[in-house]
Amino acid sequence: MKIIIAGAGAVGTHLAKLLSGEKQDIILMDENEEKLSKLDSNFDLMTVNASPTSISGLKNAGVAGADLFIGVMPEESRNMTACMLATNLGAKKTVARIDNYEYLLPKHKEFFSHLGVHSLIYPEMLAAKEIVDAIKMSWIRQWWEFCGGALVLIGTKMRETAEILNVPLHELGGRNIPFHIVAIKRGNETIIPRGDDTIKLHDIVYFTTTKKYIPYIRKIAGKENYADVRNVMIMGGSRIAVRTTQYVPEYMQVKIIENDINRCNRLTEVVDDKVMIINGDGRDMDLLLEEGLRNTEAFVALTDNSETNILACLAAKRMGVTKTVAEVENIDYISMAESLDIGTVINKKMIAASHIYQMMLDADVSNVKCLTFANADVAEFTVKAGSRITKDAIKDMGLPKGVTIGGLIRNGEGILVTGNTIIQPEDHVVVFCLGMMIKKAEKFFN
Amino acid sequence: MINSKMICKIMGSLFFIEAGFLILCALLAIYYKETDLTAFLSSAAITAGAGIVFSIFGKNAERKISRRDGYVVVSLAWIFFSLFGMLPFYLSGYIPSITDAFFETMSGFTTTGASILDNIESLPHGLLFWRSMTQWIGGLGIVFFTIAVLPIFGVGGVQLFAAEATGPTHDKVHPRIGVTAKWIWSIYLGLTIAEVFLLLLGGMDVFDSVCHSLTTTATGGYSTKQNSIAAFHSPYIEYVITLFMFLSGINFTLLFLFFLKGKFKRLIENTEFHWYLGTVGCFTLFTTVTLVLTSPMGIEESFRKAIFQVVSLQTTTGFISADYMTWVPVLWTLMCIIMLFGACAGSTSGGIKCIRIAIMSRVSRNEFKRIIHPNAVLPVRINRQVISSTTKSAILAFTFLYIAIVFIGWLLLMILGVGFEEAYSVVISSLGNVGPGIGKCGPSYSWSGLPDMAKWISALLMLIGRLELFTVLLLFTPGFWKKH
Repeated sequence: MKIIIAGAGAVGTHLAKLLSGEKQDIILMDENEEKLSKLDSNFDLMTVNASPTSISGLKNAGVAGADLFIGVMPEESRNMTACMLATNLGAKKTVARIDNYEYLLPKHKEFFSHLGVHSLIYPEMLAAKEIVDAIKMSWIRQWWEFCGGALVLIGTKMRETAEILNVPLHELGGRNIPFHIVAIKRGNETIIPRGDDTIKLHDIVYFTTTKKYIPYIRKIAGKENYADVRNVMIMGGSRIAVRTTQYVPEYMQVKIIENDINRCNRLTEVVDDKVMIINGDGRDMDLLLEEGLRNTEAFVALTDNSETNILACLAAKRMGVTKTVAEVENIDYISMAESLDIGTVINKKMIAASHIYQMMLDADVSNVKCLTFANADVAEFTVKAGSRITKDAIKDMGLPKGVTIGGLIRNGEGILVTGNTIIQPEDHVVVFCLGMMIKKAEKFFN
Repeated sequence: MINSKMICKIMGSLFFIEAGFLILCALLAIYYKETDLTAFLSSAAITAGAGIVFSIFGKNAERKISRRDGYVVVSLAWIFFSLFGMLPFYLSGYIPSITDAFFETMSGFTTTGASILDNIESLPHGLLFWRSMTQWIGGLGIVFFTIAVLPIFGVGGVQLFAAEATGPTHDKVHPRIGVTAKWIWSIYLGLTIAEVFLLLLGGMDVFDSVCHSLTTTATGGYSTKQNSIAAFHSPYIEYVITLFMFLSGINFTLLFLFFLKGKFKRLIENTEFHWYLGTVGCFTLFTTVTLVLTSPMGIEESFRKAIFQVVSLQTTTGFISADYMTWVPVLWTLMCIIMLFGACAGSTSGGIKCIRIAIMSRVSRNEFKRIIHPNAVLPVRINRQVISSTTKSAILAFTFLYIAIVFIGWLLLMILGVGFEEAYSVVISSLGNVGPGIGKCGPSYSWSGLPDMAKWISALLMLIGRLELFTVLLLFTPGFWKKH
């Protein structure tokens, strides 16, 4: 697939690196040569030093034969312009990053498609949705949906109350358990478990399941005593914060703490009445306590500064807040933040990149696509008729160590697999494997 | 730090490729029923054996290549290729000294074309073909060749490419490095085949035309004749070879766009191409006029000898159609200056290269302007793109190092007792991967008279020059091996 990415900013470069590792033909466009030169000499992609809104630049980048054009420059209007130009110059599909909620309304979809912008992506909104998901189900660390939610992946940390500690997996309730454990993250190590592995205290365990069994997982993970979130405190009145207040359910009370008085005034204009805006420094513990931090179940830190967000979450955690969410824009800090016990880490770039990635998955599921998740790869395969995997039950297949099948989607319905499941052609199979194993796994499906 | 297992693994596969080429020569030896068959078979066996050992050592390597690894792989690949490549010469007894055999092979792979052989015609066909083959493999780069044919570099192809490619900036014709390599190699192969046909039309026999085509497109300069191209006494052949040397001196990316994509403008409007065309034109004009005035040759012959020699030296091929040592001394010096210039970046030629000369001359021009307009912002534009200051300083550093190495090498050779003009011409010729020098190392002599030590120095200079200084010299900096 020939993909042109316009804008070598954080989202663009992240996406380019992600896709170039997968044998896609990536062309990265930007006007700033310095941004490009580092990528050009280290990754298998081509860079074009030209403005993505210039016609000659786009032609030079070979837009006529492009399968996908992604506009992820900082400015919304330039992304839209670039996408319109690209479509009219021959690009098959375009995606633009936007900053405007209005554009996303379903009734405008046709209109934009007509203009030449086929999909829109709004990272702040996606981030807000993810934050709300995280605080709604405060016991979950990571949540991922496959094929529009037919199958879900849940990551949660094991505490003393969990029911499944120190039991070999094959003894966990026989064949008919409604979940499958696909990966265990223990310290910095990721394990793809086999039947005789056990779950230990403080592991982060990744389950695949269907939506109706989520309460059951909550039970066995010992998270039933987790208080439901009613009071949310948001530090930093960024755009994500505004979006978040719009998505939180009715029963939650939200307080936004913002240092800048002008921004506070602006916030009062854009958020609902029930949201309380407090002018003050979110790092001031006395202020937080006065505003009822002790009665708050979720603390969300969304300032521009990743370090501040991490530290503020740690402080809140110490004050007894059960759920913390930190926005960490520095990708290298993410794993550190996770190890510091911050409940959910939000990264706008990664959310945007993986959303675009997901869009590609939905567009073309016939190929192997993978996504790095807790140091393991998640790949979706469409099973071809006559491939090795269809020949026998899974337990007799002799899948290599470090590879496990998380579940499959047959006719749009999520099905969990057991050792006796026989996979049929045209099933979409979700496979989890450690870094190097993807090639070996691939052989079973082709 | 250094991923030695992965390096071994890559080296292992490279050795298998070399063994494959040696087998090819062995087939030729069978065809001609000559004595070099056993030498080729045993060389191939030794090379493949080394390949197996390295592959075993590199088993289960972590599939990751850092920039450092890239530089180590590329430098080692060239050294080991020469070490194994010299075996046929040595084992067959045609070049009995290890120094000479290594020199001859290094001169081949780096496409220098300087020889220590005093009677080339006495070599069997297999060895002659192997000499030409080394240049052809080395022309676009050993590792680059492997990227094109083998998918083993699923990782790290970019790092290896960066360490081996020539020129201050690298352009790609396709987003994926493997596909880029394939296209560039098909252009290379296409040029070679086209030349074989044209030479056959000129009455050269099949073996000679294949060998000469291999060494022309590689801008190498090994001939199957002691007198090089002059041995054929054919103006047609001289013109054909001039044309192909000239084409091989152009950036292969531009050739790709020109021949396969029909983008004529990209070639015609390319700044480096202008400089290449301009310098070749000026040097040819000067040489022709001088020859017409000072030698008994007619205008056509003067022009033919002049353009052949100028193109041959500027593209750093080193074919000879006339002994320029019989011309007036001013032309000797001119030839050395031409050798320093070189042709375009991204071609198979060596030397400083036109793009660097172009940028440096514009930087210098700007310095003059700056004296008059101290506050002016003066960009250097190449192909309508402003050259960044990092590129500019990299080019200045490159040129400084290039000149410094010439002087150091010159001094070293003088210490070893090599004559004045021989010493500097040998250094310039080795570093630029040209071939002939002047004086007793001139076109009608071989370099067999040099002391052994001088041959090793010259071989090292060839490698340094071929990999554009930094790749090899980097390995000698202590910082490269430090853990932090």
